[in-house]
Amino acid sequence: MPDRPASQPRRRVKVLPRKRPRDEASGSWYPRWYWPVFALPGTLWLLVLFALPFYVVVSIAFGTVDPVFQSPLPVYEPWWWTKKYLLEEWHLVTGQFRAVEVRTLVYVVLATAICLVVAYAVAYYVARFGGKRKGLFLALLIAPFFISYLMRMLSWVELLQPDGYVNSVLTFLHITPHPVNWLGGVPFTVVMGLVYGYIPYMILPLYGFLDRIDQSHLEAGRDLGANPFWTFIRVTLPLSKPAILASLVIVTLPMFGDYYTNNLLSGSPKTTMFGNLLDNSMEATGQGPEAAVLVLFLVVFLMIPMLYYMRETAKAQRNQ
Amino acid sequence: MFLDACSKPGTVTSASTHASGPGVGTYWPTGSPYPLARQDSPVTWKLWREPIKPGLAPEKGATLQIYNWSDYIFTKVVKEFCAAYNCKYQITTFNNMDEGLAKMRTGQLQFDVFFPTPDVLGKLVTGKLIQPLSHSYIPHLVSDVWETYQNPFYDQRWRYTVPYTVYTTGIGYRRDLIPDAQIRGMPNPYEIFWDTKFKGKVGIYDDYREAISMALLKNGITDLNTGNPKNINEAQKTLISLINAVNVRTSTNGVYIGIPKGTYDIHQAWSGDMVAAWQYTPTQNMKTWQTLGYWFPSSRKGAVFNDTITIPANAQNPVLAHHFLDWMMTFKNSMLNFSWNGYQPPQRKADPETLTTTKSYYGEPYVFPWLSDAVVRESDFHTGYFEEELTPQVDQLWHNAWQAFNSA
Repeated sequence: MPDRPASQPRRRVKVLPRKRPRDEASGSWYPRWYWPVFALPGTLWLLVLFALPFYVVVSIAFGTVDPVFQSPLPVYEPWWWTKKYLLEEWHLVTGQFRAVEVRTLVYVVLATAICLVVAYAVAYYVARFGGKRKGLFLALLIAPFFISYLMRMLSWVELLQPDGYVNSVLTFLHITPHPVNWLGGVPFTVVMGLVYGYIPYMILPLYGFLDRIDQSHLEAGRDLGANPFWTFIRVTLPLSKPAILASLVIVTLPMFGDYYTNNLLSGSPKTTMFGNLLDNSMEATGQGPEAAVLVLFLVVFLMIPMLYYMRETAKAQRNQ
Repeated sequence: MFLDACSKPGTVTSASTHASGPGVGTYWPTGSPYPLARQDSPVTWKLWREPIKPGLAPEKGATLQIYNWSDYIFTKVVKEFCAAYNCKYQITTFNNMDEGLAKMRTGQLQFDVFFPTPDVLGKLVTGKLIQPLSHSYIPHLVSDVWETYQNPFYDQRWRYTVPYTVYTTGIGYRRDLIPDAQIRGMPNPYEIFWDTKFKGKVGIYDDYREAISMALLKNGITDLNTGNPKNINEAQKTLISLINAVNVRTSTNGVYIGIPKGTYDIHQAWSGDMVAAWQYTPTQNMKTWQTLGYWFPSSRKGAVFNDTITIPANAQNPVLAHHFLDWMMTFKNSMLNFSWNGYQPPQRKADPETLTTTKSYYGEPYVFPWLSDAVVRESDFHTGYFEEELTPQVDQLWHNAWQAFNSA
């Protein structure tokens, strides 16, 4: 390639001033840092209340215990980390604990399925047929949040006692000849306890979404010849898929770590859930790192439904 | 110091030798930073600082900070102490010993009295979390309390502790379903837990030491601190067989709440829980109280325990705290406390033969006559078996057995 003649003037490149981002809706100009600042509280919250505590859990899992007090001693420097507890617990998680893991999965799937059926029906009714009483229904739906989970479970313990109201009604109506030992380590009681405890967390997001479904979509379905059943199946249900997924995530994640429902309503090793194993390690002297490793295993396992939810949400956004 | 800072956390850089250790005892297993107390190898803890001087006046206008298990002290006893010493009080509670120790270690909370179990005494002294006692403030320990506690094996010469309550672990049951003669007539009464007639209504404590100890005793092993893997493994199998036989449940309040309400027919029981259980019956009358039963071996060869009271190193009112310890050692006050919480104090004047007839603060006998097995005698502490501190390696074996039971 021939060299450029020396006489030819260099092309001057005009340096334009950097444009500030423009808000398309209002047409106003904002400094570049304006919108990111809004993410600052959330970012700080995540850092201080999630990332840092999570790193402490990791540091305990790969750490050691105090030689005198046997309390967990987090090791923050990764170069000092030990895999001792990880390997020990891995051996248990892939062996001895398997029955508990399967049981936990079955309980959570069953409880979530019941929650979904009941919660969807309730939310659908309130959203579609609540009419003027929608506010009242909503208040009733929120009411359980005012009472702590522990208190609600304790009230069930009283109701399900051998001489409690549930047995009194059942025997009075001759449904059972003798009081049923509901609290005697019965899986049904634990699953129903999970349903009762977590169902409000499912109803609210479902209601919020179903209430916002555009009526014209449903009318279009009917105009095209679908009866109410098929309108529900072909229009309402697909439209509410994101809400179903979100509510499933909200409910199943804490259910997998739940230990108190089983402690209060059963206490039998026959109904032990993964959260109970974790709790046992937490309560025992010198078992802090083991408990932290179990937390990490649970987190990794829960990433699977979480990633699926994120994928589906992203897909839904792309399709919009 | 710089090298210490660079070393791996948790590494003991200068291993304490027996001579320089925090206590003197004959049983000092490898890996333990201090000697472990056993009935046949007592421990004398060294004074890591001098006790407070005798004859000091109690702090004026103070608030006595009490750190205790939940629901384990009668507030009337504390109120009367505060009226006598012109002070206020605040009770903070913990649910298990680990939680109690963790809060003590932070040093942020300044308690005046703390109620630990004897098996954590080594940790408390080694960590310099409790202070030596000045005996001149606590004359009632010598005059009123059992001889055994003038020199307990876990704290020779009671340098750091005074005893709070004594209790045994036996079997609580419903007498309307199981006659006393039936359980007492069994060659091995621990086998009643396996009776399939009571399926779904059998409970043990949600505590790995207690549960495995019961299985050991059932198997005829009396060393409740055993490190023998074979014995622990057998105990684990014994416990697991309990799940299949009766769908056993674990609980912390199954004795004093569950048995009176009929949630449990049989439950492993601390004597104190059973003595206090009458306060929780659905109807308050003699007929329902008579449904509560307690069994402990007639040979008195079973699990025995005591709890203690100590004064934390950073107590703001150490003189007042010493007076409080003395207050709790007096016959009148400790028996008033017994009326309410059901846990017996080791008092000389509390004659085991008359505790079942002497009226308590509530107008009922301290211990109902049909619960006479729950009365603790000083001799029990020579015939019974203590659960004491384990080495970390042995503790791991016990915990593994407990996890195997829970995940079976």
